[in-house]
Amino acid sequence: MLLKRFLLRYYPPGIILEYEQAKQIKTKSIDLLELSPETDIDSLLDDISRREPLITPNRMGQVRQLIIKLQTKLSKKDDHKFYLFKVLRAHILPLTNVAFNKSGSSFITGSYDRTCKVWDTASGEELHTLEGHRNVVYAIAFNNPYGDKIATGSFDKTCKLWSSEDGKCHHTYRGHTAEIVCLAFNPQSTLIATGSMDHTAKIWDVEKGTEVRTLSGHTAEIISLSFNTTGSHIITGSFDHTVALWDVHAGRQVHTLIGHRGEISSAQFNFDSSLVVTASMDKTCKLWDVRNGQCVGTFSGHEDEILDVVFDSTGQHIASASADSTARVYNAVTQACVTKLEGHEGEISKVTFNSQGTQILTASADKTARLWDPVTGQNLQVLEGHTDEIFSCSYNYEGNIIITGSKDNTCRIWR
Amino acid sequence: MGLLELLRKLKASPSHEIRVLLLGLDNAGKTTILKSLAGEEVSKVTPTQGFNIKSVKQEKWNLNVWDIGGQRNIRPYWRNYFENTDVLIYVIDSADRKRLDETGLELTELLEEEKLQGVPLLIFANKQDLLSAAPPGEIADSLGLNDIRTRTWQIQACSAMSGEGLEHGMNWVLKTCSKPK
Repeated sequence: MLLKRFLLRYYPPGIILEYEQAKQIKTKSIDLLELSPETDIDSLLDDISRREPLITPNRMGQVRQLIIKLQTKLSKKDDHKFYLFKVLRAHILPLTNVAFNKSGSSFITGSYDRTCKVWDTASGEELHTLEGHRNVVYAIAFNNPYGDKIATGSFDKTCKLWSSEDGKCHHTYRGHTAEIVCLAFNPQSTLIATGSMDHTAKIWDVEKGTEVRTLSGHTAEIISLSFNTTGSHIITGSFDHTVALWDVHAGRQVHTLIGHRGEISSAQFNFDSSLVVTASMDKTCKLWDVRNGQCVGTFSGHEDEILDVVFDSTGQHIASASADSTARVYNAVTQACVTKLEGHEGEISKVTFNSQGTQILTASADKTARLWDPVTGQNLQVLEGHTDEIFSCSYNYEGNIIITGSKDNTCRIWR
Repeated sequence: MGLLELLRKLKASPSHEIRVLLLGLDNAGKTTILKSLAGEEVSKVTPTQGFNIKSVKQEKWNLNVWDIGGQRNIRPYWRNYFENTDVLIYVIDSADRKRLDETGLELTELLEEEKLQGVPLLIFANKQDLLSAAPPGEIADSLGLNDIRTRTWQIQACSAMSGEGLEHGMNWVLKTCSKPK
């Protein structure tokens, strides 16, 4: 094995090693999820050199520089104030979901008007309209980190794959017998997974445009789906109150996470894919051990249905959003409630951390999106302007641009 | 409401729920009817650019009423909402005689939609409080309602502003839907 070069990953912090083995270039990552500006470099370096044979003593200087770079980035004070940059009015019906590409240079919006639009973030100009679906475009995704492809899932029961560069449709995936409501690319961008109201999830081949397999087992609609960080497993959350963990390549159900007493609204892996967090209409969130499928914690406290739940990029914190118009932040390790985010005057349907984990964004039926300090719970800003409820919101990777998609048919860029 | 709630409403309705689709030309009074049914203030209603959904409790029934904007440019999108419809309510501005033909054409197209085959139809002949309103009999003739053979239908004179006639119409909806499908 021969180390070729280092690559930096800012969020979550890590160093990627590119190396040669048997004439093949491979990569592996040293995850530094707990790195902070205060971390003692020398002891960290000791630790790394003990754990990682690829890093020989003569490389230690380089690694030290990389860690200093990561720490500098982490210690950057973040007092960015957002203002409304553009109102995009090209859709003629309500928006569904919105998503950025990795660099944040462009983003996509899905709509009840059956199109997905590709936008240039810097100018707010419409780059492409992806036309062809015969019903609502609900689920959308870029194949990040590459960003050259877009997948759209529609109420017309099909999924389409598009080039983000020229807006051309490469493939139409047919097979679901009801609306497609969630989808994701695997991290390698070789597969797309779709979840449907027909109770199944399907896996499709990006290159060939064919169905790879169907994941059957749920007894009600699948409304949430995500890959783990390596792409080896998928979780599907269903209205049948359970979450299923699937081995992607074997197509086998590994565990069923049973315990919620209401429909699942959201399910997500943490970064190292050891835990899954789930949110339910039963007013609780649960934390699960991926290895054995056992519930290791229940977060109660919300007074109404929980509509969304997320980990921050390092997996250390969890945020939940509820119909009780509050959001809550939990420590994923101690499972303690860190703070409660109060101020919205309507249900909160989406919650997300910025990549740095230093800020939380919530979208609400009260027509506002709000920014919060995840430690103190302080409301930092109210993003006002939409004239109807906000359905979706997203930060770019850098955390300095926000997009919001609303029932008022507009998308707004805040920066 | 939120996107998730939209998905829950999209599911085939459980036995005690009725999914009602409210369609008609712009300015027919669909949103006013929706608000009136939900017991809300009807004075401030603006043109619907997308849709409004409200759950209305009547007796043991939960009516999920979908009010879809009727402007010409968004009419082609009505079909987004056809799935699992239990009752179609078509609203007509009885005082807008100039557009009776136009609304008739839209209705004819709707009734030809495969996904709405056999779905019971209630016509609200709205705005009967206006002097120039056409009586329901004249509207039924103009729409050719008497030629409908493949579904149950009813025409009901009403005024969304005063609420008159709405209850009658909704009683017909409940009666029709509580029969075994």
